[in-house]
Amino acid sequence: MALCAMLMLWPASAAMEEPVACSVPAELAQPFLSWRDPIALQAASTRKGTAKANLSAGQAAALTLLPTPEVAYVLRPEKPGGSISFGGLARFVVPTAAVWRVALGSGVWVDVVKDGKAQPSVAHGHGPQCSGIRKMVDYELQPGSYTLQISANGEDRLTVLVTPLQ
Amino acid sequence: MPSDIPPPIVPADSAMSMAKVELGRRLFYDPDLSVNGTLSCAGCHEQKRGFADGNTMRPGVHGDPGRRNVPGLANVAWRRRLTAADPSLTTLEAQMLVPLLGDNPVELGTRGKEAELFRRLGNDACYRRMFARAFPEVKGHISLDTISHAIAAFERTMIALNSPFDRHGRGEIGAISTEARRGVALFAARGCVACHAGRDFTDDDYHRLEKNMGRDRGLIEKTGRPEDEDRFRTPCLRNVAVTGPWWHDGSAPTLEDAIWRHVMGLAQDEMAPLRAFLESLTDRTFLTDPRLAMPDRACGRKL
Repeated sequence: MALCAMLMLWPASAAMEEPVACSVPAELAQPFLSWRDPIALQAASTRKGTAKANLSAGQAAALTLLPTPEVAYVLRPEKPGGSISFGGLARFVVPTAAVWRVALGSGVWVDVVKDGKAQPSVAHGHGPQCSGIRKMVDYELQPGSYTLQISANGEDRLTVLVTPLQ
Repeated sequence: MPSDIPPPIVPADSAMSMAKVELGRRLFYDPDLSVNGTLSCAGCHEQKRGFADGNTMRPGVHGDPGRRNVPGLANVAWRRRLTAADPSLTTLEAQMLVPLLGDNPVELGTRGKEAELFRRLGNDACYRRMFARAFPEVKGHISLDTISHAIAAFERTMIALNSPFDRHGRGEIGAISTEARRGVALFAARGCVACHAGRDFTDDDYHRLEKNMGRDRGLIEKTGRPEDEDRFRTPCLRNVAVTGPWWHDGSAPTLEDAIWRHVMGLAQDEMAPLRAFLESLTDRTFLTDPRLAMPDRACGRKL
């Protein structure tokens, strides 16, 4: 049951209408088990810098972001952040073609970029209530290396998890 | 704009100029208008969706839930009343201050931080030049007044009058399908035009279609009059096919659902022509017009 809940994309606004008081955190299932135990990772300010900002599938990362004016995005984000917001870049590798999910701890804007092109998302929504996952975006990805662009975050920290969906 | 269409009424103190429109366009897309730099007007009003949003409701910068579905902005310059249920908002200049400063709900969250906003914009030399060009009478002073007037000027350029239905009206053979033409007739025969009237398919008036169980009480919240319970403004139908989800609270996930909720005794086989007609109101040139898109340059420099 918990696995079903984690793999289901809640409609983008389903949990936006009525804030839910969470007395007990939602049970997390694979592949989101590490969500509450993320590894620390410094986001990169350039595409070249993402060589040191690798995201591993199924491993949550607590990204330290940069002030937006310091970030050189590969592509201008569709929703760029303002001068006082935070953003950054990271990299992940897709070994085999699959639908990948990017789970995020805020309503931040993300682009998944390959060969200078933003990959179209195939679905987006909210994480399960009380999971701490605010937003999830799915992409159909072919094998290769991808740049994750993060823009317009209000804080300099952001929990991120990328994972293929089985 | 077609020459046979009268221009919208512009407030006397808000004359249009290219400099204002250019500044307003940049401000519309600039998340620095929000308290934490994360949300712009365009964050909720997306051009590809007719300047509506794809969500039921949209949370503000602090995650506060939205109260109402984001409306499209096509031809907003001609609206006599703005927003779903606030008759006091009759100018775009006044309406713009609601998302900027409002707290029911908090959207851009700038109330109490106005001085910080002016300072932030004033730190940008290009903005200083743009304000000076747009508002020479106040020496480019950056204020709520000049910000709202510039954004209103840009919004008045959001003109969608080139849909297949418009071209059909101008005599273009084959602009709309036979089914859509049947939908046009049904739209009139079923009485939809009583409220969805005129060029933009709205009478700009308030109507009650269903009981909302007190969740959002509509016009009564502003007027206090019992007869205004559950009354909401008739939405403009320009680009309606791309502005979903629908209804004042976004509770209609499909256009068909929104149509059924009007309870007008439609036969099953009347839905397809009505839908074809509504789809013929989509102005694709409006959705992709680069003059309305996020600017990539200002003052000759890349943004």
